[in-house]
Amino acid sequence: MNRVARFLRSILLVDLIQGMLVTLRYAPQPAFTFQYPAERRPVAPRFRGILRLQVEPETGAPTCIVCDQCARVCPDDLIALGGHREPGQKIKILDYFDFNLSRCSFCGLCAEVCPTRPIKALIMSEDYELGSYTRDRQVLRIDEMYDGLPIENYVR
Amino acid sequence: MGTLEHRFDDNLITTKLDTVLTWARENSLWPLGFGLACCAIEMMAASASRYDIARFGSEVFRASPRQADLLIVAGTVTKKMAPVLRRLYDQMPEPKWVISMGACSNAGGPFPTYSVLQGVDKIVPVDVYVSGCPPRPEALLYGLMRLQDKIRRENTVLRRKQVIKLGSTDPVPAVEDAT
Repeated sequence: MNRVARFLRSILLVDLIQGMLVTLRYAPQPAFTFQYPAERRPVAPRFRGILRLQVEPETGAPTCIVCDQCARVCPDDLIALGGHREPGQKIKILDYFDFNLSRCSFCGLCAEVCPTRPIKALIMSEDYELGSYTRDRQVLRIDEMYDGLPIENYVR
Repeated sequence: MGTLEHRFDDNLITTKLDTVLTWARENSLWPLGFGLACCAIEMMAASASRYDIARFGSEVFRASPRQADLLIVAGTVTKKMAPVLRRLYDQMPEPKWVISMGACSNAGGPFPTYSVLQGVDKIVPVDVYVSGCPPRPEALLYGLMRLQDKIRRENTVLRRKQVIKLGSTDPVPAVEDAT
């Protein structure tokens, strides 16, 4: 009896059909793949992307006060910044801000210590498209820090 | 390709052949499965169904360097691993490209120590540096697209070689070699 039942199962392909039914049950769901260059998925709210300097939204004046805290807190000494003080003024003006991207592990300590309020001068932005052909391009100067790296999008 | 590469002048046949070969090269970059650290997890995620590196023709992670075109150095390269990496690179057939993925292989990352190689470009020539720690799978796909852009600007059978100048992204025709 047992042998007959096993024979019938193998003739009627019962196991195969059972397996295919499991596969077919997953077939009608929408495609799981996310078409990256066409659509860009929103990042998490506390995502840490590339460092960026911010300006005042109304006036466009730079907000960095050259307090050097980000350069001190960086565990790999990747930030070098400096400024000068106009005669008669109390506040310092940012002259250069070099950020060596190559070693950066995006820990976010530099943006965390930035003391300027209400606009933080240094933030971790949401951009993660970072690819360069040479190692020299990975040291970001001050103009690239305001606008971000020039991101070359994929063109066909 | 040694008898064909960079040996022909411009005419209709060779430029069209060049276009076809470049198209074939850029859309069938077979990577070598070479994951060294946590960046390899993101590389696996990029090859899985969510990000699906197969859309760029790079889904075939080869276990043998003889069948690979692209070396994705994903992770910390220690000085003990460096000769192995160089040997694997030497065993890959021409044409071959290298993507340095993540802060560790770009410049040593957070390990400025005696045992870690400070940048994989000290032992192999790197085409694209992808920054991040680790880079998102999208960032790896972006680096792959940058590499495809670079391959599209190269010549395969034509004699003139194009080089990409430091800092610029536009190709500059190099001085023609005398051969």
